Amino acid sequence: MAVDEGLKIELGKQGVFVTTIEELYNWGRRNSVWPMQFGLACCAIEMIATTMARYDLARFGAEVFRPSPRQADLMIISGTVTKKMAPQVVRLYNQMAEPRYVIAMGACAISGGPFKQGYNVLKGIDRYIPVDVHIPGCPPRPEALIQAFMTLQKKIDEQPLTGAGRPRHLDAEAQGEFPVPEQGAHDLEPTSNKGVWTVPVVIR
Amino acid sequence: MKTMEEIKAAIEAAAPGAGVEIVPNPSPSGQHSLRIAPSHAVAVATFLRDDAELALDFLSNVTGVDWLDKEVTEKVKVTSTVTKTVDDVEQDVEETVEETRKRVQPGCLEVVYHLFSSALKHGPVILRMKTMNRTDQVELPSLTPIWRSAEFQEREVFDLYGVVFKGHPDLRRLLMWDEFKDHPMRRDYVDPDDYEYEPTPHDAVLTRANAHKAAEEAKAREGTGAGL
Amino acid sequence: MASNSYFSLAVLFLAALGFGLAPLVLAWLWGKAFSPAKPNAIKNSIYECGLESRGDAWMQFRSAYYLYAIIFLIFDVEAVFLLPFAVAFTGLGAAACGAMLVFVLMLIEGLAWAWAKGVLTWA
Repeated sequence: MAVDEGLKIELGKQGVFVTTIEELYNWGRRNSVWPMQFGLACCAIEMIATTMARYDLARFGAEVFRPSPRQADLMIISGTVTKKMAPQVVRLYNQMAEPRYVIAMGACAISGGPFKQGYNVLKGIDRYIPVDVHIPGCPPRPEALIQAFMTLQKKIDEQPLTGAGRPRHLDAEAQGEFPVPEQGAHDLEPTSNKGVWTVPVVIR
Repeated sequence: MKTMEEIKAAIEAAAPGAGVEIVPNPSPSGQHSLRIAPSHAVAVATFLRDDAELALDFLSNVTGVDWLDKEVTEKVKVTSTVTKTVDDVEQDVEETVEETRKRVQPGCLEVVYHLFSSALKHGPVILRMKTMNRTDQVELPSLTPIWRSAEFQEREVFDLYGVVFKGHPDLRRLLMWDEFKDHPMRRDYVDPDDYEYEPTPHDAVLTRANAHKAAEEAKAREGTGAGL
Repeated sequence: MASNSYFSLAVLFLAALGFGLAPLVLAWLWGKAFSPAKPNAIKNSIYECGLESRGDAWMQFRSAYYLYAIIFLIFDVEAVFLLPFAVAFTGLGAAACGAMLVFVLMLIEGLAWAWAKGVLTWA
């Protein structure tokens, strides 16, 4: 139930704060997103810079990078995901507690980047796990990561607690397990998880 | 440091029958290398490391080269005896004809070692070894017992080129996963058809794009054929 | 009972405990009511940096590691003593400097002993 905006402002002037549970709940969630301490390649250096004093990601409530997936809410895929590393990344994502979010940082993580046609690099981590925010760049600047983080906060803020758009941890039906790909004779098997990713249709 | 010729002479004196061959490098750097016979490689390497004048105690780099079968066209002067009629008399004449011959130079795998001396501050001395062919006789002696730093790099060469190092303490794949078949740095390696849309494909990527498109069209045609 | 002079202390203790436990209980109840648990085999497996764990976690470590740890600890604690000494250095007399030197020398003697015993040789 939404509060009338005008009434809310008027009450605020009188020193009365009105809110909804949804607003309060999401306010708490979006300001305490704890990322996982996890870097894959050169983008991780920018991620580290983002957490340091000059850019200070802690301003957004993400000051603690957790060394265990059990305590983390956000996975920043910072760098090239090789086919050798992909099963480990997917397994770590599975081991995170709900609600969990993913930021794919940099050209490699979102598409394979300069190594897209190589034999050893995954063409984007969104083949196996759902990605919330993609950041282009090689590597993206810390400002871009902060922008992505704010986008994620906005997304969390807009999630209703009931209905179709509710976050996955409140939905008993939502998929909880994402299969870990096997390392086959030539490629990862399967090459993508069903329902997570479909081959893009090229419109010419 | 000694010149290549001096090193070659020193090796041949220390390990007779090593079959040392100087491979010249025509580029301005002029870093000539020594090709040694795999059968004497361990003896040669031990000598290079322990010799007081060379003391090559540091192996900085091990790399592989894949030489495909190469068709060589060369002009050969052939002298043959031909029966000819000269001045109404039949006689045998020696005749030299220039012939263009084609032969296939068999491919091989080559391993290159770059050696330096940290004690005497000189280098590099470059060693090369060739396998017999690219398919079944790909064994070379491992130099890990002599230079420990060769361990991971020889594993990498094994992983990417498929050279089997005899005497290596732990020869497993290094970069690719254990279940992986084939050796991806070989020049005839065909990677799985996983081409995806690129806005401006060119060169090798364009070739892959066309191959992928053809395969997809064939699959689509098969699909409609089965449906009818 | 209320006349007992410790009664207020007990009330305060319970209140403090309540402050600590209430958020935990509330969060647990919230989770129970609204966010269904979705356990699966991968999620419940042992965390080992994303790799599948193999072998037993109860393994033996070499005792040499403990000697390293102890030597490290001694010098770590030494730094804790040295820092306040260094800060107050200008205001101290020669006797304090001498005492500190004796302390440091004693530790160095221990290190020399460990060195001579071959503890620092890694093999």
